[in-house]
Order: sequence, then structure tokens, then C-alpha cells
Amino acid sequence: MNRKIALLLLLLTIISILLTSCYDSHEIDDRAYAIALGFDTGTTNQLKMTLQFAIPSKISAGEGGSSGGGGEGGGSTSITTIESPTLYAGLNVINAYISKQVDLSHCKVVVFSEELARKGIHKYIHAMVRGREFRGNMHVAVSVDTAEDYIRNVSPTLEINPAKYYEMNYDSYKYTGFTGDTRLINFYMLEECSCRQAYATLVGVNKYEKSSQFSNDNSNYKEKGRDYPLEGDFYAGNIPKVYDVKSEVMGIAVFDGGTMVGSFDGEEALFHQMLYGTYEHSYISIPDPEQPNEFVLLNVSQARMPMHHVKMVGDKPYISTGVKLEADILSIQSGINYESIEKMIILESAAEEFLKKGIMHFLEKTKPLHADLCGFGRDLKARYLLWNDWVNVHWLNKYANSQFTVDVELRIRRPGLMIRSAPAKGSKGDVMN
Amino acid sequence: MKNKITFGRFEATCITITLLSTQLFLNLPRIMMEAAWTAAWILTVYISLLALVLFTIIFKLYKRFEGKDLLDLGEHIGGSIGRIIVGVIVLFFLLYIAPVILREFSENIKIIALPQSPLSFVMIFFVAGMIAASYLGIEAIVRFSAIIVPIIIAGYLLIIAGSIQYTDISRITPWLGSGPYEIFVKGIPRISVFAGIILIYLLFPFIRTYRNFKTVGYASIGLSGFFLIIGVLVFSLVYQYPTGTESFLPVYQLARLIDYGRFFQRVESIFVIVWVASALLHLTTLLFLIVYVFKKTFKLEFYKPLIIPFSIVVYTLSFFPHNLISAIELEKSFRNLAWIISFLLPIVLLVIARFIKKNPKKEAGNA
Repeated sequence: MNRKIALLLLLLTIISILLTSCYDSHEIDDRAYAIALGFDTGTTNQLKMTLQFAIPSKISAGEGGSSGGGGEGGGSTSITTIESPTLYAGLNVINAYISKQVDLSHCKVVVFSEELARKGIHKYIHAMVRGREFRGNMHVAVSVDTAEDYIRNVSPTLEINPAKYYEMNYDSYKYTGFTGDTRLINFYMLEECSCRQAYATLVGVNKYEKSSQFSNDNSNYKEKGRDYPLEGDFYAGNIPKVYDVKSEVMGIAVFDGGTMVGSFDGEEALFHQMLYGTYEHSYISIPDPEQPNEFVLLNVSQARMPMHHVKMVGDKPYISTGVKLEADILSIQSGINYESIEKMIILESAAEEFLKKGIMHFLEKTKPLHADLCGFGRDLKARYLLWNDWVNVHWLNKYANSQFTVDVELRIRRPGLMIRSAPAKGSKGDVMN
Repeated sequence: MKNKITFGRFEATCITITLLSTQLFLNLPRIMMEAAWTAAWILTVYISLLALVLFTIIFKLYKRFEGKDLLDLGEHIGGSIGRIIVGVIVLFFLLYIAPVILREFSENIKIIALPQSPLSFVMIFFVAGMIAASYLGIEAIVRFSAIIVPIIIAGYLLIIAGSIQYTDISRITPWLGSGPYEIFVKGIPRISVFAGIILIYLLFPFIRTYRNFKTVGYASIGLSGFFLIIGVLVFSLVYQYPTGTESFLPVYQLARLIDYGRFFQRVESIFVIVWVASALLHLTTLLFLIVYVFKKTFKLEFYKPLIIPFSIVVYTLSFFPHNLISAIELEKSFRNLAWIISFLLPIVLLVIARFIKKNPKKEAGNA
């Protein structure tokens, strides 16, 4: 009996030593947590890498309220840039000069410069998917400026925690529609998909210091046949805004395989979401059907998943798509009583026509890029029984020949907290302005 | 000499499910996708149905041999020589797969959780668990499995349910993937996925009755088939072909994706617990079967003195593959050929045994 107890004690002692996980134990405090990773083309080497690290002690100090509720987000991060031949070689070098070991398990975003993205990023995406520290829910972004510039200009003021800033900023597509769901796992899957193309969030650094510098030169509103830009007619880096945070997200970068081939502005990114079915809701300005210089503002949301029908005639795909939306009225600048049943039909038709025109413009723009972003190929693929038959269609190649028919159905459901629009009474009579 | 140890249908079903389904946590979804492309789930449904059909044939043939395991059948046919031949074949079968599984699980642990720890160090924990459980015997193993298997199933279903947000039905189109010939003809050897069913032919003396044998067999294959099908289906719905064929540890990859808001993330830690528990149970069962079959083959009185030597053999053999890829290839070969031992051997033995009439007195003496 005593022998058994002695043996048991010996075993417990050995196990308690072994279970301390001596080889792989890491103190949280001993790691440098990167929250953003940037890639540019190097000048002295293949790759320029920028890493933004969170400084947990400063984040927790901010949460303690010492900064009076606001907090200086910029102080809660540390940024380093190096040049190296590869991703992991760069991490090795960084590990050599910072005091802690780099840990990427909390990385929220990987940013590629447009220059690098246009050369192809498949190898970097594969390296990340292979690595155990990178997670599928981090976002992939393309910076119109250098990735280093973008990351160095991320200094959130409304968020103390920079990781939370990235999470919320990149998820803003859920209520603006101006970007998209560009998580690494989605990018990786789309990049290797034979029926759809990949896209990444377009980011940039705003160039305006004062509001007097605002310009529409880099907006593509003229290309869309408009006299003035609407809210989504901008690419990242060109939004007319002045704000403490210079970094911004707007639009999507489009890839053919792993190579960037073009970009779409905020409004086009919104149409992409509508057509793919990931659109949740956003505010959209519709030109007033009876007073074109005024706007009606709608809070639009997706009512049903979009319906696609693809028919191949020879090498030419005929694609018809139906988008069903619903909207609430937010504002009627003209004061015309669009809340009434008769007028509401006019507004609905105008909104449908406006969106249809925008969607057609977006789809036509995708053709030369071979960018089936909306998953039309998925619908066609389902009609084949054998994989080899499908692959022989060469869908992404033939997409450039597509002919589109778009049907938009928008129903206004609620007028907000006002049931009708009454004019203001002034010395000159009734006015709505 | 009759077995004094017996256990119920639930316990036997749980331990058999462990042996049949643990491969889900290794490479099965990817292997199925490599074989049938977008139709991986159809292939899994097909082989599950085939396994049920073959088991039906086996249990019908077993009717006259209630309570006999494969070695008893060998003895019934060819006396001691027959028993030894069958025993050696089964031993070879078990000694092939046990080191491969040990190597794969240990390598995988090294990749996902303990990258700096030496492989031998990681393996020693599995081997220690296998030795301890084998010393406690089959009763302890099956009773423990009855407790742990429902927990493993709950964890597995949580991972599957959590991955649903990433599913897309178009990823399993074109529906017939690599084609009907590849699925329904060349896919037949894939029935080896159910090779673990050999456990119930070996444990028949412990579950005693023919009725229990039938219930355990159908429940194990049915439930395991269900888990394999949903695992392969969800994996195919999340990882399209051919991207899914790049994926190492498919179910782990699914677990890594789970992300509901900012607070429900990184649930793969649940996966690691589920995974290690099922691996340990699987490996323990294999080690116990090895020593049990060895003991019975050579009519030894005790099995416990064999545990340490065979653990050392399994541990040493597990280092034979040069790397993880070699171990995976060995597992793939096993999953192509194991049906010969798991389905063909019992059928052949049972058919031959039906034609051999034994002296009832001698039969009683042997039993």
C-alpha cells in the first residue's frame, strides 16, 4: 500500500513538472501584439513591412478614465517599418530589435500598397493562411498610398483601443455600404474561386488639412453623368473631409486571381453588396423626381436576397438580376408630399430608376476587369453536374462578354416620424427651403 | 472460459463511435474532397450506406456465432493455427494504424498548440495516457468513453454549428464533382473509413448477445456516418474545391473561423480539448486491442505485462515516417485498404465457418 502511495506521489510530481508546458509557455506580457501589418514594395529589398503594435499598458490606462473619456489612441500603439525579402524574414529582424517577440494572433488588418497589389499578392495571402497566428477574420485592405503611410496615419481619437478601432472601422460597411466584407478567409477563398473574384477594402490617407482645400477633382461623378458628386462618388484618400484621423476607408480594390486590376468607389461598392446580397442598410440620396436640384434621403435596406439568372449563348453570358429593396424616408428637401400613396409611387419609381442606372454602370465597369464580384458564376456553376464541364466554360474569361438586364424593386415602408411635409410660413408665403 | 466483464450497448456504441469518427479531426474531410471534389459529401453518404449494407451481411452471417470474436472464428475454422493466423493479421492491422495515428495527433498538437515542444515530449503524454488506461482495462475505457463521447459530440456539433455562417451552397456544385465513376466505383475502397468497426467483432464476447451486437453495429455506423457526413458537408460548404484540398486539419480550420461578434471568437480552444480527448480515447482503445489480441492469439494468461512493451513498440514505430506528410500518406493508404480486414476478412471467416460443423462437446470446451 505504502509502495503504491509512494509511486502515485512520484507520478504526480513528475506530471506537475511536465504539465507546466515549459517549452511553449509564454507570458502575455512577453509578447508584442501586432494589430496591423502593412506591405509595400521595398527600395533596398523585395518587401517593405510596417507593423503597428498595441501597447496594452497604455490602452488599459486609457480605459481607466485617466484621459477623461477620450483618450489619445495614437499613444497606445508603436509602429516600425523594415525592409526584408519575405514576411517571416522581416518578423525575424523585428524580433531582433524589439524587446518582445512579435505575436500576430491579434492582428486585425493586413494592408497592401496598390503598387504591390497590382504585382500580385497571392504568395503573401498563402503565407498568412499557412501561418497559425494569422486569423481568417482579419481584414485585407489595399492602400491607394503606401501601406506605411496608411498605418502611420491611423491614430483613432474616438477609440482608446486601436484593435477595436480597426474592427469597427472595417465593419462599417454594414451601415454605410461603402466597402465590403473583406476578411482574409473570404479573400483567400475568392482568390482561388473559379466563379467569383476577390476584393479588398480600399484605404488611404486623406490629403486635406483645411476645408477650403476641398476639391472634387478625384471624384468620378462626371463619369457617372452627374453634375455634382454624391456621397459615395469617392475613393479612399479623397473624401472631402477634415478630421483628426487622416486614414479612411472607402471603396473596394478588385482582383483578378491574386492581382489587383481596378478599384470601385464607395457607391459602386454599395451596389456590389446589393447584388451579392450582403447589403444591410445605409442612407442613400436620391435626386427628387419633381425637383431635380433637391434630394430625398432614404434609409435603404435589402428586402430579399438578389435573384440572378445566367444563360450562356455561345460564348456570351446573358445575365439578368433582380434586386429587392425597401426604404424608410429620412428627409424630403423639396417638401413635396411623397408620403402620400400617389406620390410615393413616383418616388419609388425614381429611386428604382436611379439605382438601376447606378447598378448598370457598375456592372459594365466590371466587364473589362473580368471581375465577377457578384457571384453570377455561382449560379451558372450550379447548373453543371461535373466539375470538368464547369471548368471548361472558362467563366471568368467569358464574363467580359456579358450582357446585363437589371431589375430593381424598391418599396417605401415607413415615412419616419412625420406623416406629411408641411411648408414653413414666412413673409413671402409658404417656403420649404 | 467466459468473459466476466460485460458492458452495455451505450458504452459499446460510444467506444465504437470514437474509433470510427476520430478521423474527422484528422484528414477525412480533405481526403474525401480529394477523391470526389465538390461531391465529397455524396461519397461520404455512399460509403456510409455501403458500410450499413456490409454490416447487415456480416451480422446475418454472425447469427450462429453469438459471443465469438474474430479470433474465435479463426479457431473454429482452423484450430490454434487458424486463431493465430487471424490474430496476427489483426495485430498487423492494429500495429500499422496505431503508430500512424499517434504520430499524426502528436504532430498536429505540435503545429497548433505546442510548436516549440519536441515531438517526443508531446507523444509521451499520449503514451502515458494510453498505458494508464490500458492498465485499468477495457471496462474502465468503455465506461469513460460513455462519459466523454457525449461531451466530444457536443463540442463537435458546436464547431459545426458555429461554421454555418461561412457556408455557401454553391460550393458543393457542380453536384457530381469528379464524376459518377470516381464516386460510385473508385470510391468503393473508401469504405475503409469504417475500418474501426473491427472493434465490435473483437469485443463481441464483452457485449455477449447477438441482439446487442446488431444494435451496437447499426447505432455506431449510423451515428458515425451522420457525424462524418455533416463534417464533410459543412467543410465542403465552407471550403470550396480545390481550396479545401489545401487545408490541413479541416475541422480545426472550421473552428478557427468561428467569429460571432467581438466576444465569441477563438473557440478552437474547445476544439483542442475535444480533439485531445478523442485522440486519447482512440489511441487507448487501439493499444488495449493490441495487447488483448496478442494475449488471446497466443493464449497468454495476462495482458498487463504486455502493455509497456507494446507501448514502446507503438511509440518507436510512430517515429518511422520521415515527416507528417509521410504519416498522412500512410493513413491514406490505410483508408484505401483497411476494408479488406474490416469487412472482407469477417465475411470470409463467417462464410467458411458456416460450412464447418464442429463437435458440440468440443465447441463447448473451446468456449
